[in-house]
Amino acid sequence: MSTNDVTSDPDIRQTAAELATGDRTDTLLATDELRKDFGGFTATDDVDFSVKAGELRCLIGPNGAGKSTLLNLITGTYEPTAGSVYYNGHDITDLDPHQRVKRGISMKFQVPSVYGDLTVRENARLPIQRFADGAERRRRVDAAIEAAGLAGSEDVDASQLSHGQQQQLEIGMAASLEPDLLLLDEPVAGLDVAEREAIAERVTRLNEQEGIAFVVIEHDTDFVASIADEVTVLHNGDVFREGPVEEIESDPEVQRIYLGGEH
Amino acid sequence: MANGLNLLFQFLDSFAFIVLAAAGLAIIFGIMGVINLAHGEFIMLGAYATTLANIQFGLPLPAAMLAGVAVTVAFGFVVERTIVSGWLPNAISQRAIGRNVIEPLYDRLADSMVATWGLSLIMVQGVRITLGNSLDQIGTPLGNIAYGGFSYSLYRVSLAGVALAVLLGTYALFRYTTYGMRARATIQDEDTARAMGVDTERTYVTTFAIGSGLAGLTGALYAPTITMVPGLGSSFLVEAFVAVVVGGPSVVLGTTLAGGLLGAINATVSNLFGTFFGRIALLVTAIVMIRFLPDGITGFTERLRDRLQEGA
Amino acid sequence: MATETSAGSPADGSAGRLGRVRSYLEGPNTVGNSRQFWAGFLVALIALAAYPMLTNSYQVGRVTLFFVYAFLGLSLSIVWGYAGVLSFGQVVFFGVAGYTFGVISVNFATPAGITGAFVVGVLGGAAMAAVLGYFMFYGGVRDVYVTIITLVSTLVLHTFMAQTAGDEWTIGEAALGGFNGMPTIPNLALGVEGAALTFDNVTYYYFVLALLVGMYLALRVLVNSDYGRVMVAVREDEDRTQMFGYNVKRTKLTVFTLGGALAGLSGVLYAAWGNYMSPGVFELTFASLPVIWVSVGGRKSLLGALAATIGIEYFRNSLGGELAFVIVGALLLVFILGLPGGIVPWVDEKLVPWLQRIIQSRSTGAAAAPTEETD
Repeated sequence: MSTNDVTSDPDIRQTAAELATGDRTDTLLATDELRKDFGGFTATDDVDFSVKAGELRCLIGPNGAGKSTLLNLITGTYEPTAGSVYYNGHDITDLDPHQRVKRGISMKFQVPSVYGDLTVRENARLPIQRFADGAERRRRVDAAIEAAGLAGSEDVDASQLSHGQQQQLEIGMAASLEPDLLLLDEPVAGLDVAEREAIAERVTRLNEQEGIAFVVIEHDTDFVASIADEVTVLHNGDVFREGPVEEIESDPEVQRIYLGGEH
Repeated sequence: MANGLNLLFQFLDSFAFIVLAAAGLAIIFGIMGVINLAHGEFIMLGAYATTLANIQFGLPLPAAMLAGVAVTVAFGFVVERTIVSGWLPNAISQRAIGRNVIEPLYDRLADSMVATWGLSLIMVQGVRITLGNSLDQIGTPLGNIAYGGFSYSLYRVSLAGVALAVLLGTYALFRYTTYGMRARATIQDEDTARAMGVDTERTYVTTFAIGSGLAGLTGALYAPTITMVPGLGSSFLVEAFVAVVVGGPSVVLGTTLAGGLLGAINATVSNLFGTFFGRIALLVTAIVMIRFLPDGITGFTERLRDRLQEGA
Repeated sequence: MATETSAGSPADGSAGRLGRVRSYLEGPNTVGNSRQFWAGFLVALIALAAYPMLTNSYQVGRVTLFFVYAFLGLSLSIVWGYAGVLSFGQVVFFGVAGYTFGVISVNFATPAGITGAFVVGVLGGAAMAAVLGYFMFYGGVRDVYVTIITLVSTLVLHTFMAQTAGDEWTIGEAALGGFNGMPTIPNLALGVEGAALTFDNVTYYYFVLALLVGMYLALRVLVNSDYGRVMVAVREDEDRTQMFGYNVKRTKLTVFTLGGALAGLSGVLYAAWGNYMSPGVFELTFASLPVIWVSVGGRKSLLGALAATIGIEYFRNSLGGELAFVIVGALLLVFILGLPGGIVPWVDEKLVPWLQRIIQSRSTGAAAAPTEETD
């Protein structure tokens, strides 16, 4: 463990505590000593992690570092072994996932999981039908399909879409909930350069125009560099480094954990 | 004192019944991810074959029991190749129309339940049509043990010993044979096992045959003590099914612990309130266990052990 | 997939009030979204209505039973096909409702009492489903373990009811009767003394048929509505649907309770039909019948469940005995392995388009033919 160990960073600790008491209103999300054990394996090790409103944070780290687990803890899909999650000043640790979604957290899963047997339009409609009816609904569904670049494919079964199109559809569906915090788990895995650029552009646009805060898990360093404000590096379930993307890129310790020096 | 002894015998009887009923089902479920709802009918097959071998063909009882096991193993092989893996229909359809028509039932828990349920209907009614509504029963060997006004069938109590032997034998099978090694690798991770050269398909066929054989053995062993009707399998199925689910992923340990727990509950409640309520208590225990320990007893103990090690 | 309809007009563009009614009844979650379908439906309805006039009272009574079972089939279709919960336990709600109806109506054999028994019976089925559903879904029990618990529940009830033969198992005037069953359950009557609707074989037939058709149409509206879409999303991927802000546990509980009510309705109609209830309804063989009907007919299709229930039961009843069960078991095997989606969706997605293509190519072929025919 390096001396730059962020878990002992007093600023992060303070942020979480302030969030709990309702101060520091520009911090949107904070976790406090969040821990998740699976049997004998600790996936998330007392993590303190926070995101400001409107921030675009990337979460990187070697495989098995606990990135997806952290996202699942934030959404509530996993229950923590210990620790808390704060959102907008409230302790949401005991809330069910659907309740957190209603408060403004949204997620795109790691494995593309569009509803395969439903058409593109039926997929796009599902998150929207809770908010809008009739003509307004149709407008928003069409807009979502358009933004995903799928205009003209409304009646295609989602399972027929290409991988890139599915990712776009999923991001669109998550965004159509009008969240304040959008979690993307590997949005460009398996895509070619053009598709990656399209997604990077879309994420940046959503972040800048709609003010949506992002936490994006990705391995592609170019993609990360092109969109991130801040980067958090996870390793062995713990926060290893945190800082602006330039800093992290040039940090030799970060290179080392990826190359397997430390395990 | 006499009632205590009675309770003990009821427990041994119940324990044996549950373990022997469950063993074959547990192996198939644990390794192949298939729930064989026709398991009771496999037991029935073993019982019927044994009875016919003994009464119609005059074989001495031990030989008749072996015959019962053999018949069930052969039948299990056929079922595996046609229904569970779909190998035979697919081989035919490949030649006829160039593609497979059936997906294997491995790890398709709900579908395997439904499909094997269809099989069990066919088996029960098929036997009823061909062999009638009942068969003459083989006499129970070994007589009764009498104590202070009660008496209990010595044969049924001694089956507890057989049940233990089966458990030990299964343990040895998994631990010390190449088949056992292959089977354990396949439980852990089928894709990795296959990548390392384990012939998973052959493992599955052998597994199903072993599971069927154990069912046949149970049928053979109980043939002298139960009424030979085509529907006799259903009383075994319930106990077996419930024990497998409550026992959890560890085949030998899970079956033993489930047999012990459920057998104790069944025996105690039966002793106090009669066999119907003993059964109900067993079933309700199963429901409660599934709700609170969805991974079964051994699933829970594994997690507990990991957590204790972690804390040390 | 069947064609998408936008709210307000059916796929083939029929306008006006009829079109609007159809738009509620049609959608991607049911088969039959065309004028031809509804025409055929109407024809079938007329045939069924005419049937009692063409046959004797005994046959009418037989067919009524199949209609009664259709509610049970629909209940499983809703719960399994549309919300993804495979339940071997629909017969639990069926039986509990039937026995409840029996107990109350035997004790209060007036039209008002029987009407009350009817209502309480159905509610009893629903309540039982709500309790079991809450225990399972809010307890985090998932997938196959739900199926296992429903299966074991059926066994519990079978064992319990089977041993109620003694005299102590009598509620008021109604003896539960154990394996002997509970006889002398009165016919259905609705209303109060002096203004009650009572039924004979033929009128009961029409009553059940009308109820069945009404329920079918109502369920069509439900599954094609926004709520129906949520049900389907839950069936397809629970975790994902949760992440769109839907309370998946509550949805499953609600649908399961609705399924319990439907099964309960079936049970009450059954008890009133046969004037008899026995623990046989909790036997595994009977518990598996809904699974067979729905697997063969098509679990994701209300029409499939309906048609298969009536068809298979008619067949089983005609053939009788063990051979029928052998064939039915074989049917189940073949379908689950070879055609897991069931018949009706297959007909809708593969057979009908294929026939349409043949008809179309015939007509275009005929248009081109004259050049060949001239000598």
